[in-house]
Amino acid sequence: MSQEHIAAAFDRDLERIQALVMKMGGLAEAALNDAAMALEARDGELAAQVRAGDAALDALEEEINIECARLIALRAPTAGDLRTILTVMKVAAALERCGDYAKNLAKRSLVLADLPRVEGAAGSIRRMARQVGLLLRDALDAYARRDADLAREVRARDEEVDQMYGALFREFVTHMMADPRLISPCLHLHFIAKNIERVGDHATGIAEQVIYLVSGTLPDEARRKDEGATLGQPGRGV
Amino acid sequence: MQTPSKISAQGVNVHYGTTQALQDVSVEIAPATVTAFIGPSGCGKSTFLRCLNRMNDTIVGCRVEGRITLDGQDIYAPSVDPVQLRAQVGMVFQKPNPFPKSIYENVAYGPRIHGLARGRADLDEIVEKSLRRAALWGEVKDRLDAPGTGLSGGQQQRLCIARAIATAPEVLLMDEPCSALDPIATAQVEELIDELRATFAVVIVTHSMQQAARVSQKTAFFHLGSLVEFGETGQIFTTPRDPRTESYITGRIG
Repeated sequence: MSQEHIAAAFDRDLERIQALVMKMGGLAEAALNDAAMALEARDGELAAQVRAGDAALDALEEEINIECARLIALRAPTAGDLRTILTVMKVAAALERCGDYAKNLAKRSLVLADLPRVEGAAGSIRRMARQVGLLLRDALDAYARRDADLAREVRARDEEVDQMYGALFREFVTHMMADPRLISPCLHLHFIAKNIERVGDHATGIAEQVIYLVSGTLPDEARRKDEGATLGQPGRGV
Repeated sequence: MQTPSKISAQGVNVHYGTTQALQDVSVEIAPATVTAFIGPSGCGKSTFLRCLNRMNDTIVGCRVEGRITLDGQDIYAPSVDPVQLRAQVGMVFQKPNPFPKSIYENVAYGPRIHGLARGRADLDEIVEKSLRRAALWGEVKDRLDAPGTGLSGGQQQRLCIARAIATAPEVLLMDEPCSALDPIATAQVEELIDELRATFAVVIVTHSMQQAARVSQKTAFFHLGSLVEFGETGQIFTTPRDPRTESYITGRIG
């Protein structure tokens, strides 16, 4: 719906909440990448920045919720306008959670800095974070452009993230069996990998909101998911 | 088709002289349902409403084509008496228009001229029942002889509703019944509409989209003399199928 409202202020309000969501998306993606970088570089200062930066995401989400409540009360939105506001709230909530995961990653990176290194793990985590960050960015691009095709592509690509997680899971198990001193760092690294995988799920959720926003219905066919991959046991089932 | 329609309109065209006001409108009005007609001024929604009880007959130069049936009977058949039809298909107007008579007489008039009451006691009962159903009884029961025009606007409109339902109609047509009322009186009339739905098919023309959303189960959107979209009210207001409907209900230039 590219037409403008008769009430121009309504258009400005709708644009504003969507701009705030985009801002949240940028912050969440940066937080994830920075946290992964801090982990690899054992950079305590960068990790501390990520932890402190989460407050900005929380504040933006609150601002969006207040603004959406105001728009619902004052404008009684319907149809596409209503879906815009509902999806803005859901996407903002998803991005707030992504920020929490990045913050948790940063926190664990500080703990990991004092533990023995696990060969290759930090690099793999960083690559996974990067992949998921791109997924998040594409989901938000799809949102901004109302692009249901791109949203469907994002949903499909989340499977790659699940596979990366499965591979890391097996790697950590191997390390822990080989060297019990690595159990503690591997457990932290595993939580990190799991959390990044969860960010991927949130990107998928945002993509589903795009499809709802454009079409009025959520995609019903469940994303084909290799359950084994997220359980760390591909091919063996549950 | 699950339940047979109360009113069925097929291919309705209306002309005022050489001007075409409605083109090829087909709608099924379900029993025990509130159907809302929405659309910008001049879209034909009131014209269509007035076709349903032949109110347009009174307008010189107005020509109605197509087929409109009430319980399967053609309401434009030569054998149909329009006055009798209007007792079956009652109407409430935008501005409360009580007769310059007592509250009692306002309600008793219809049943009396249609011979629906056997004696005074029977008429008293019809008046009380109608005023109760219009949620007005408690406020007027001690002054039934007072003039109807002395009531407040909201009370007058409920009096008009009582008058319309006193003839035991099957369908109630309402042409912007709340546009002259304050929000409290509007809420009372809306609550009343919801209760009346148990017995009548109600058709309401309203400029308030929120009112249509609140009171109706079915919504029809008219634009430039055509019926653009007709569907479940929830669907119309969340996922309208026609872009013109979306433009209108979201307050865009369309």
